[in-house]
Amino acid sequence: MRDTLTSLRYRYWPDHLLGEILSKRWTETAIPVILLLIVGFALSRSIDHFLSPASLADTARQAGEIGFIGLGMALVVIVGGIDLSVGSIFALTDFCALYLLDVLNWPVPAVVVATLACGALLGAVNGVLIGYLRLRAFITTLITLIIYRSAFDLLIQRYSNSIAAAFPDIPSWNFIGGGDVFGIPSVALVYVAIAIFGHIFMTRLRPGWHITAIGGSRRSAYNSGIPVRRTIALCYVASGVLTSIAALFFAARLGTVGGDIGVGLEVIVLTATVLGGITLGGGKGSVAKSLVGVLIVLLITNGLTTLNARGGINRMALAGILLVAAMVDIRWQKNRTRIISKVYVAPTYHALPPPPATEIGQGGPFEQNDKLRDVELIGLGRIEAPEDVILDRNNNLYAGSRHGDIMRFFAPDYQRMEVFAHIGGQPLGMAFDRQDNLYVCIGGMGLYRIKPDGTVEKATDETNRSMHSVNDDSRLRLADDLDITDDGLIFFSEATVRYEMDEWPIDGLEARGNGRIICYDTKTGATHTALRGLKFPNGICVASDGQSILFAETFGCSIKRLWFAGPKKGQVEVVMDNLPGYPDNINLASDGNYWLALVGMRSPSLDLAWKMPGFRRRMAKRVPVDEWLFPNINTGCVVKFNEQGKILESFWDLRGENHPMITSMREHRGYLYLGGIMNNRIGRYKLENADPNFVQYDKRWGKLS
Amino acid sequence: MIAAVREFANRFLGRGEATITVPSFDGALKPNQKLESATTLLECEAPEDLATDGRNLYVADGRRLLRLDGSAATELRSFEQPISALCALADGGIAVALGGREVRLYADPTSGEPSVRFSDAAFNAINALTPAGDGTLIATDGSATCGVDDWARDLMELNRNGRVFRLDPKTGSVKPLASKLGYAFGACARGDGVLVSESWRHRLVLVADGRTPQTVLGHLPVYPSRLSKAAGGGYWLTAFTARTQLVEFVLREPAYRRRMMAEIDPAYWVAPRLRSGFSFKEPMQGAHIKTMGVIKPWAPPRSYGLVIRLSEDGKPLYSLHSRVDGVNHGVVAALELGSDLVLIAKGPGRVLKLPLAGLAEETGS
Repeated sequence: MRDTLTSLRYRYWPDHLLGEILSKRWTETAIPVILLLIVGFALSRSIDHFLSPASLADTARQAGEIGFIGLGMALVVIVGGIDLSVGSIFALTDFCALYLLDVLNWPVPAVVVATLACGALLGAVNGVLIGYLRLRAFITTLITLIIYRSAFDLLIQRYSNSIAAAFPDIPSWNFIGGGDVFGIPSVALVYVAIAIFGHIFMTRLRPGWHITAIGGSRRSAYNSGIPVRRTIALCYVASGVLTSIAALFFAARLGTVGGDIGVGLEVIVLTATVLGGITLGGGKGSVAKSLVGVLIVLLITNGLTTLNARGGINRMALAGILLVAAMVDIRWQKNRTRIISKVYVAPTYHALPPPPATEIGQGGPFEQNDKLRDVELIGLGRIEAPEDVILDRNNNLYAGSRHGDIMRFFAPDYQRMEVFAHIGGQPLGMAFDRQDNLYVCIGGMGLYRIKPDGTVEKATDETNRSMHSVNDDSRLRLADDLDITDDGLIFFSEATVRYEMDEWPIDGLEARGNGRIICYDTKTGATHTALRGLKFPNGICVASDGQSILFAETFGCSIKRLWFAGPKKGQVEVVMDNLPGYPDNINLASDGNYWLALVGMRSPSLDLAWKMPGFRRRMAKRVPVDEWLFPNINTGCVVKFNEQGKILESFWDLRGENHPMITSMREHRGYLYLGGIMNNRIGRYKLENADPNFVQYDKRWGKLS
Repeated sequence: MIAAVREFANRFLGRGEATITVPSFDGALKPNQKLESATTLLECEAPEDLATDGRNLYVADGRRLLRLDGSAATELRSFEQPISALCALADGGIAVALGGREVRLYADPTSGEPSVRFSDAAFNAINALTPAGDGTLIATDGSATCGVDDWARDLMELNRNGRVFRLDPKTGSVKPLASKLGYAFGACARGDGVLVSESWRHRLVLVADGRTPQTVLGHLPVYPSRLSKAAGGGYWLTAFTARTQLVEFVLREPAYRRRMMAEIDPAYWVAPRLRSGFSFKEPMQGAHIKTMGVIKPWAPPRSYGLVIRLSEDGKPLYSLHSRVDGVNHGVVAALELGSDLVLIAKGPGRVLKLPLAGLAEETGS
């Protein structure tokens, strides 16, 4: 009863999604967006006409102006600095525009260009001081804030009257200030254009990446050859220019040079930046975040103003929000990976019936014996982690190694060894095709093809992305074992899409169907996912009917059959289940039956833990991985089974001293060759009554050997 | 109320009582493989306890009482129940506990009838006997509910009902000295009190009449067991098995423990053992994976061998280990005989001998 409830709870409640969603980069933008929606909703309920077109247009106009400064600030913060002088630059460039237009009567295009140049110049002062002379951004911009503000105060004393007296009536100037296109204010249009460019710039262009890199780690960026000083200086210049754009629109809209213009602007913009989720530490941020932050701040200030809050309260509210946002930001940045790692692991309910007996004297096909005790060892201490082994028709032996090589041992005595091909990732399952190309599954990389001369080619490393997955599962994480059909389709297993290869124990702890079977067509080069939701699919072998594959589900402790052709195409059928151990690779035997490696054996304590997901979840959080309850993979065995799923024979090494772990086996000319992913040896066992001429893939492709 | 809230918060956050940290083998407990180099005097079925009167070495092996001369064992007598504790008396006599429920004193190891018999109804798991010095005998009783060999269940049930008794052979009286101990296993007289190993609380306490037990040595990374006096002052403290974070975690998981005890053969529980690595059905932990053919000695110990040399005031001086990749696990008794240390490694069923000369220098930190 309790088990049924647990099973239903874990079947229908997707625990694993929380961690996957949190580990998405867009969650950091999603939280400010949700905040924005809440603020917008609250204000629209408490203020009449909050969402009327006129009100929205007005908001958009202000948002555009502050938005430009916000973009500049975002840029500077992302590069790892801060710009407090934006308020003063805003005031000075505002003065510059109005002075040129009203006092000197320059034409509008010239005013625009000159104002932008003025902004660039003011920003460049910051840029040179901070970028090239490497002064602290905070103190430098604080000083320029004071200097620019003083300059502005001096200038308006002299010119404010003449500016205030002028009423220029120039259509283009008025359009900048108050024009719209289909009701959308001009400033908003320009903002959208610049924001789109900014987004592309930051995410798709080299300088944008440089900026993010410098903010993330200035030293590393410098060491990678990025022009750090110049980039930083240019960011401040850009900030000045963007501020001057805002000032232009402001000047055109209001046409005044009051003494309090731009006072406290830096706090508003900084609040918007932090609230949008742009980290003050640098290296993280986006245009969208900047926009969202600006909108939140604007809605709050406008809302408070409409609600007749006094200026002091308004500013206090902003400062309070800035404080809270900065605090949340710092805590989040510090603990993000910890929080994700705590919630990412999501064990599920996995019940297996009691396993068949294996003890000596209990009988049954799994009764333990010591047949493998005296296997010969090949390459002891010279090869590390041969997950799979394969032999060619000249009896040379190929095995992967954890150094990312395919090693070749030469017949007849297998003493001489060479690196046949270097790939770089851990080689797992292997198979020869009709042209003697060696196809290899590489953990963490995908499916690779090695030509007989040793050249390495990538076959595939991605498949179609599934619709319902939060994680991008198009890349292959853990291609495991493969086999090739007569039509040149390669079916290979991907053990898990949620973890990397070295994290397989975590997948075992979850015991969820995270794995899948993928099909690569050697004729077209296309890859697609054939079956998903499997519990660590592992060994694959094309069945003798030529229309189906047999595959092992390691943590499902079962062997299943998938039809890829014929009348039952697409169907899946259980061949064997409730195995006493964890099945790994499957290969053809010379008598038409199949070899299966059990990489480890089930223990009652883990079987019970698999029925108790909460226990495992707490274990994952509290206990270090080295101390977790693991699937026992120190003892294993090789079994032979037939097409009907009947175990015919089993081969054990009781104490596991000679050949501790078995992940694969390959029959070849009367011998069985054994691989093990944690081993430093390859085993060779003389089979009784086996076909002395059997070469698996020669038989498969109908070649005589 | 506050305590309940705190306990809930601790359990939720994994703090306080809910932490599963285990102290590391550090300082005087720095690991070595010294026990692996010990000479095996005797291999037998079920060695349980050792005793010596200074000349003869007695070994309790299941129901048999043996005398060991060199590596030659002579069976002195046999009982109808397994011997659970053994102790040599000052007058050349011997005391044995049988099945944890009865204590008998013999004037001579071979004499036919016991001189005194204690079979108090309170006795359940008498696992160690030691002379108190004033003619009385101290007995430790591990659990009021679980038998001598069922100690793993006692641990898993979080029982705290170990007791210490004073047995007076003159009057035949049995007097409880301490109760509610977390598995009392081993005692040794010190001054007017008795040092007692409190296994489930990983400490050594000083028990005396009319006083609450005082911690002498706490926060051990192991479950301590029997004690004996060392010739140069101080004590030999054995530890029958070591703590692991996984076991500590399971001890804080009532639902799992309940189902484990109900559904799984005790041999395969997630619990400390005297020996391990004999079946793939035993729980395996991450670090136990044989990599390149090697089991790591630092892997979390399901079974362990350890003897600690304590100073007179109960501080560890040095220690002798058999680590995870070793064999001599489950050390339940150790005593000094002449220039040797004699031990019982219950895991492999061995009586071991280790020369004392140079041990302190070799293993001291």
